[in-house]
Amino acid sequence: MKHSTLPLLVELGCEEIPARFLDDARDDFGRQMLSALGESRLLPASAEPARWYSTPRRLTVWVPAVLAKQPDVVEELIGPPVKVGLDPAGKPTRAAESFAAKNAARVADLVQITTPKGQYLALKKTHSGQAAVDLLPGILPGVVSSLNFPKSMYWVAKSGPRFVRPIRWILALWGEGKQARTIPFEIAGVKAGNVTCGHRILGRGGLRVQGFADYLKKLQQAGVELDPEKRRTRIRAEIKALLEDLRLRPVEDNWLEAWIVNSTEWPTALLGQFDRRYLHLPREILVTVMRDHQKYFAVEDGKGNLQPRFVTVLNLDGDTQGRIREGHQRVLSARFADAEFFWNADQKATLQDRRPLLDRVTYQAELGSYGEKVQRMKAVARELCAVLEGYAGPCIPDDSLLPDNERAPKGAVPRLVRFVPMVRERVLRAVELCKSDLTTQMVQEFPELQGVVGGLYASAQGESSQVSEAIYDHYLPQGAEDRCPRSMVGAIVSLADKIDSVVGGFAVGHEPTGSSDPFALRRQGNGIIKVMVENSLPLPLRLLVERALNILTIEWRKPQLEVFRAVLEFLEDRLRYYLETVRRLRYDSVRAVLAAGWDVPVDALWRAEALERVRGSENFESLSLAAKRIKNILGKSATAEDWRPGEVDAGILEEGPERELYVAYGSAAAEAGQLTASGEYDKALAAIAGLRPAVDRFFDKVLVMTGDRGVRQNRLRLLGKLDQLFSGIARFAEIVGGPGDVDASTLRTVKSDK
Amino acid sequence: MASKRKRVKTGTARTALSFQDMILRLSEFWARQGCVLALPYDLEVGAGTMCPETFLRVLGPEPWRVAYIQPSRRPADGRYGENPNRLLKHTQMQVILKPPPPDIQEVFLASLEDLGIDLRHHDIRFEEDNWEAPTLGAWGIGWQVMLDGLEITQFTYFQQSGGIDLEPISVELTYGLERIAAFLQAADDVFRVRWDNKITYGDMRREEERELSLYDFEAASAQTCRTLFELYEGEAARLLAACRAGASTHGFPLRKVYELCLKCSHLFNILDARGAISVTERVALIGRVRKLACEVAGIYLDRKAAVVEAEPA
Repeated sequence: MKHSTLPLLVELGCEEIPARFLDDARDDFGRQMLSALGESRLLPASAEPARWYSTPRRLTVWVPAVLAKQPDVVEELIGPPVKVGLDPAGKPTRAAESFAAKNAARVADLVQITTPKGQYLALKKTHSGQAAVDLLPGILPGVVSSLNFPKSMYWVAKSGPRFVRPIRWILALWGEGKQARTIPFEIAGVKAGNVTCGHRILGRGGLRVQGFADYLKKLQQAGVELDPEKRRTRIRAEIKALLEDLRLRPVEDNWLEAWIVNSTEWPTALLGQFDRRYLHLPREILVTVMRDHQKYFAVEDGKGNLQPRFVTVLNLDGDTQGRIREGHQRVLSARFADAEFFWNADQKATLQDRRPLLDRVTYQAELGSYGEKVQRMKAVARELCAVLEGYAGPCIPDDSLLPDNERAPKGAVPRLVRFVPMVRERVLRAVELCKSDLTTQMVQEFPELQGVVGGLYASAQGESSQVSEAIYDHYLPQGAEDRCPRSMVGAIVSLADKIDSVVGGFAVGHEPTGSSDPFALRRQGNGIIKVMVENSLPLPLRLLVERALNILTIEWRKPQLEVFRAVLEFLEDRLRYYLETVRRLRYDSVRAVLAAGWDVPVDALWRAEALERVRGSENFESLSLAAKRIKNILGKSATAEDWRPGEVDAGILEEGPERELYVAYGSAAAEAGQLTASGEYDKALAAIAGLRPAVDRFFDKVLVMTGDRGVRQNRLRLLGKLDQLFSGIARFAEIVGGPGDVDASTLRTVKSDK
Repeated sequence: MASKRKRVKTGTARTALSFQDMILRLSEFWARQGCVLALPYDLEVGAGTMCPETFLRVLGPEPWRVAYIQPSRRPADGRYGENPNRLLKHTQMQVILKPPPPDIQEVFLASLEDLGIDLRHHDIRFEEDNWEAPTLGAWGIGWQVMLDGLEITQFTYFQQSGGIDLEPISVELTYGLERIAAFLQAADDVFRVRWDNKITYGDMRREEERELSLYDFEAASAQTCRTLFELYEGEAARLLAACRAGASTHGFPLRKVYELCLKCSHLFNILDARGAISVTERVALIGRVRKLACEVAGIYLDRKAAVVEAEPA
């Protein structure tokens, strides 16, 4: 039997819903509607899918097929066994009669069914499904009240309804055309009906609706484009049409586009101009004013040069009198005049002049002023420079100091950098000036431009490009996915800032807990790791954290050592997050590498990448099994106090596999040691993996736990040596192997327990 | 109070309403909506919200509709009368509707049309903007109303005042009158706005702007401001303590204590503009003023409850 269905159209009419909530609100409304209808068994097995739409004033769901009636459900009530219910002549007994009577049925309705326990008398009772018309008035209010918003409000009273903005009308239509009827229900004192509203200005009064097609048509006539995707397409097309002939283009901005889509019902793009003289202000400031404050698209030419024009998107059908354009131009011009005023006023005092003012600007209550923070940052920066200057590993010069044509090509493999003393000078200069822009009117007006403004002012005040770039960039990266400062100087200033913030934050008890991280220290921690790793800076975390702790002058409420440990544990977590999430390395590779040490984060990355490359080889897989076996043997023996690490006595080694392994170990260890020292982890791992045949033969032929205590101890010591070798670059035993690896599942469990 | 939108023929810049005519027109509009026209409050305030006609009257169940003009001071916005768009003291039209009618947005738009703004030819938007007065423990949810990219009104559903949940909710409309006047008159400079047909806004106010900026940014003694802050706060605290000690709230000069609290709030603003307050101290000072405001709000409600209980007897 084909079940009859009818379409359902529900629209929730609101006062203007904030643009930033609209996408989620629309999806939430659609999904909740479907799940509620599904739970009430009102959705057919297959049908045209539901659709949902939104404008700032409405959330709409259209379900093309809702069952007119729930399907019937047949319930089987089991009575007495046939032997009991029927006498030998097949007549119903008293037992059968009372079963029928109890269930308000006639004895004639009883049927015989077969169950695993035998033949029984039973009743088949049909529960007929309820009509959707009766169910929907109960379902729909529940759907609305199940919607959640990041911020909602009361508009009648604290005891009254609560929603993202006041609900002003409800359209709830069941069926199509003349037969369409309203689902009667009420939310927040508003009765559902068959009437919607058009655009605030373009629409006129209420619109009676007879179905979805009719609804769309009437909304169009009343100045409402219901579909956000169609609004998006229209906005793009209109902007293109305005700019194409002028050979200009909008400065692309997905955030702004989405905001406009979600704050208009009838978008129309409009081109405006501003006085060319404002173009002497930095692009960053002009774009911020247009984008963040006025919601305009900035406009540039084919070469990316900003033009004295802007595009605003109206929620109207046009500007026939030209007065809207005039109004927007006047507002923008006043905003730019303000920005120009700030720029000029701010230049009266240089960043250097402003430095003493920072002593009056509080950084955080327990951590003192920004002046004090700059002092601490300087100490940390000096430490960073000293480590880098003293670094004796393989290096190339810091080519960010070279002219562009001599720099390494972009995207080249990261390499260690030789640190030149010139960098230190510039780092310290940038640190000295980097927070001074907090005292400028420009940053007070546009807080989102802190750092950027400092960089622009530094450049205008004659600081070197290295210094001003570093100031400009020093808040970067804002997270693990954000970009890093452009230069080495910027990277070190950024590190000094973030290390001080994290260490200081932990010291005064601001460490993140669970989902709460009010001082955004995780973001800062992610920044530390990212900058160190992506600039190939071989910096040791322990040393830096220790120094940063030592220069804090606070009242210690907990032991320094405790803070030290907490910060390091936190940074290890950040490094793990970075390697797994940003670098997408396998979790067990990351575990193996971190277990072998992570004091220098970039070194951990290099080892992890090398490990990822070799771990698929046959030699390596088998070796990681052997590594686990060795760990097990040593673990048991250590608890049995049978063995202490020590030197192998070559004299008592048995000829054959044992001595062969010892010799192979010796040369592999020496080779791997050299390769590790020069950072050639791939080759070092290959050298170690080459031990596999010797290891396999050893375990095949040699009994480790032999009765002779001396021999046994010597063999354990040999295994101890191997264990060291198998744990230096990465702890091989942590690697989860193929299906044959019995430890794989246990390792997984341990991981998820954490 | 379903309002019919009255289409007023839009004037050109020359025939557009003067500043004072605009005030008259808006006042008449809201009087027609049943608002009592209160007088501006005779104390320095940062916003019309701080006047007792709003801060206290939004508390409690009694319906209330009021509209008034309120000069409001924001020391940090001072520009010595030199910036064409910024004022230390600007003029607000404050409207409170408790409870708000369901067509409140329509009524508000009608008030704009009443000023001669033809909405068919302007881009009017309600952009999310939630308002908060931390020194008063007052906040609400709503929008800034944008007219061709210009913020002309703050439209707020009050949620709390004096730290107390509102029952019922009030809508607060705060018109920025200088901006609307400049818009109507197509003036690029607020000081050139016609106040009436002869006198400009500049004639009326430029000197005052300069002098107030001069004091708040330069001449004010931070030490004196701090001392005054503490004196006013101390006086308020003394009276509040006396009120707590005696059970009856009848002998308590509630509105005077509230004035002392507003004095503190204004002194705080001067200190802030002066750059004399650090970020942490800022939080602490705001907390001290809020404490006074919240206590006053609590006593106001207790006293009303006592009156209601006394009446049936």
